[in-house]
Amino acid sequence: MTEANSHVFIVDDDPAIRESLGSLLRSVGHCVLPFESTEAFLEGEHPDLPSCLVLDVRLRGRSGLDLQRELARRGIEVPVVFITGHGDVAMSVTAMKAGAIEFLTKPFRDQELLDAVCRGIEIDRERRRHAADFAELAARFEALTAREREVMQLVTSGLLNKQVAAQLGLSEMTVKVHRANAMRKMEAASLPELVRLADRLKSPGFKA
Amino acid sequence: MPTRKSHLPVDDHLLLSTLPPHREHVRLAVAVLVTLVIGLLFATPFARISVPGSEPFLPAYGAAMLINELLTAVLLLAFYWTEPSRSLLWLAGGYLFSGLLIVPWLLSFPGVFDPEGLLGGGLQATATFAALRRIGFPLFVLVYALDRERSVERAPNRHETRPAVIVGTVGTVTLAVGALTTLVLSGDQWLPRWMVDSQRTTALWNIVPITAALFCAAALFLVWKGRRRSVLDLWLLVVLVSLLIEILLLAGISSGRFSFGWWAGRLYGLLAASVVLFILLAETTTLYARLARSTSAERHVRETRLATMEALSASIAHEVNQPLASMVTNANAGLRWLDKEEPDLGEVRGALLRIVGEGHRAGGVIESIRAMFRKEPRARVAVDINSLILEVVDHWRNKALIDGIVLRLKLGEALPPVSGDPIQLRQVIANLVTNAADALLAVEGSRRLLEVSSGLDGGGAVLVSVADRGEGVAPVLRDHLFEPFFTTKSDGMGMGLMFCRSVVEAHGGRLWMADNAPCGAIFHFTLPAGPADIRAEPDPKP
Repeated sequence: MTEANSHVFIVDDDPAIRESLGSLLRSVGHCVLPFESTEAFLEGEHPDLPSCLVLDVRLRGRSGLDLQRELARRGIEVPVVFITGHGDVAMSVTAMKAGAIEFLTKPFRDQELLDAVCRGIEIDRERRRHAADFAELAARFEALTAREREVMQLVTSGLLNKQVAAQLGLSEMTVKVHRANAMRKMEAASLPELVRLADRLKSPGFKA
Repeated sequence: MPTRKSHLPVDDHLLLSTLPPHREHVRLAVAVLVTLVIGLLFATPFARISVPGSEPFLPAYGAAMLINELLTAVLLLAFYWTEPSRSLLWLAGGYLFSGLLIVPWLLSFPGVFDPEGLLGGGLQATATFAALRRIGFPLFVLVYALDRERSVERAPNRHETRPAVIVGTVGTVTLAVGALTTLVLSGDQWLPRWMVDSQRTTALWNIVPITAALFCAAALFLVWKGRRRSVLDLWLLVVLVSLLIEILLLAGISSGRFSFGWWAGRLYGLLAASVVLFILLAETTTLYARLARSTSAERHVRETRLATMEALSASIAHEVNQPLASMVTNANAGLRWLDKEEPDLGEVRGALLRIVGEGHRAGGVIESIRAMFRKEPRARVAVDINSLILEVVDHWRNKALIDGIVLRLKLGEALPPVSGDPIQLRQVIANLVTNAADALLAVEGSRRLLEVSSGLDGGGAVLVSVADRGEGVAPVLRDHLFEPFFTTKSDGMGMGLMFCRSVVEAHGGRLWMADNAPCGAIFHFTLPAGPADIRAEPDPKP
């Protein structure tokens, strides 16, 4: 298994734990980036690749839970796998509620950690793909002219060409031309597909 | 009850019947006695003046006396309940006897409830009751004092028998008073001729005060000479002296019933009995309050100890778990590197080396914890404190760089080595440096200055100081700083400073906190310079 196109971040203040975790993750082919504090991680480089963060809860200075909150605040979306020395129920609930993939108590089984990390990377990969798709779709929509956007919105809301023409004060022929252009630019093969693309655009980020 | 020889257990000294009197007790008793004697001197010139028509005051006096003596008896029985000693029963019995006899004495007194006296007794009945009281009470006190001296080695009395003993005592005394009353009331013709009429006494009566005075004096002497005089005994002395004065006023100076001297003697006895009762009550309450306080303090100590244990076990779990987790992970990683199609022996070797290191680290943690509980340094070797400081600082330099903390070292030159456990001492320095660094994280970058210095204090001990320019420690928190489980950090255990202090003190040194100028806190600790014959270890690694 090779994961060269992904990264695993490790944030732990104990150098021995950092090294052992690094060795374990590298042994299954992960590319590992270790950090000794939350500050070092926040200031460090984060390659734009699917990644997963293995985070110790108890750290000198700011704790792992603080880092999780800080990442959310900065809008950095990275799946987090928590490791902790104490099986603290309250802490794990907080961490899981804040979206952690897994909460492992030291000493943990290596397979559990590796599975959690793989799952984290997959989730991130998926999220990134969705984000990329959405970005592309948004770019296609951006390429439409103002008139084409109007026509597309009305058509996808269920109006006939005639009705669109009446509403916009255009001839039915012109509407047909705009509609054909919109479908071509949006790369939609049919009206139902255009409707579906319009729906996806209405999810966050759509600007009318 | 534990067996006791010459030395009493400490908790024995909590009761008034066993507590040795303090200087203040003695002073107060002497003051009361002096007042009583002054009262006597004032009363003497008027003693022979007759106060006719003062009979109606006698029931009030009797009732007060009855309540007083019964309360004192109850108090003494309560002492017996806690500390069963037979002598206390005699004393309680004496008060009960004297108190209960007041009832027939008062009822049969001619001219109080009835010109002839109630109960149908003869002329001699009232005086007989008075004689029984006067002589009976000092007799009981005498027996108390004698029994007290004899029963130093008391037989163990089990708790279950105490109620029976108390009920038995009260019952016996009550029955005896009842029987005596019946005898006196029914056998007037056999009673000694004390009275000429209802006011004047015969010469025979003089036997009563003299006998009473003799018994009083004997009891006074015995209590005074007692080997283990208690607070109770002290006040008993006051009672006996006041009784003597009362007898003197009633019989020697006054001119018979209802004269001024007679009344003065009565009031005297009542006042003295009240003072003693009030003081006994006050002392009991004070002792009770002290007990309550010490009990709650004890509970607090126990709770603190429990919290310490809890915190310690959590801290131990954390400290041991860390290397354990690292070892497991390393071993797993090593196995995976081995299981590869082309095993990476370099990585396997690295993992194994880390396992060895972590094993030693766990061992060191456990040894250090054990050393902490032994309260004595593990292996005392000559330690160069400066090299320990440098080790700690080297370890922290990276973190300091990240946090923008400026580290300043002022190490004294040619310091004598100290004798101690290098692992523990390094941990002490590391804890103080960590605390200082954490304190600096809360302030702006320009103030982030951490200074570690070493030198000699005035007394030839080595002094190490760790100073920061953080927010300092608020005065309210200062007292709790070294308590276990006390922390101002969200993720702290509150064990660090407690550990530091216990280690430094186990090394014969001292650790304290002071304010740093212009701001922040400074922690100092001293360690006595080690004996010169210990060979210095330049690098005391575990």
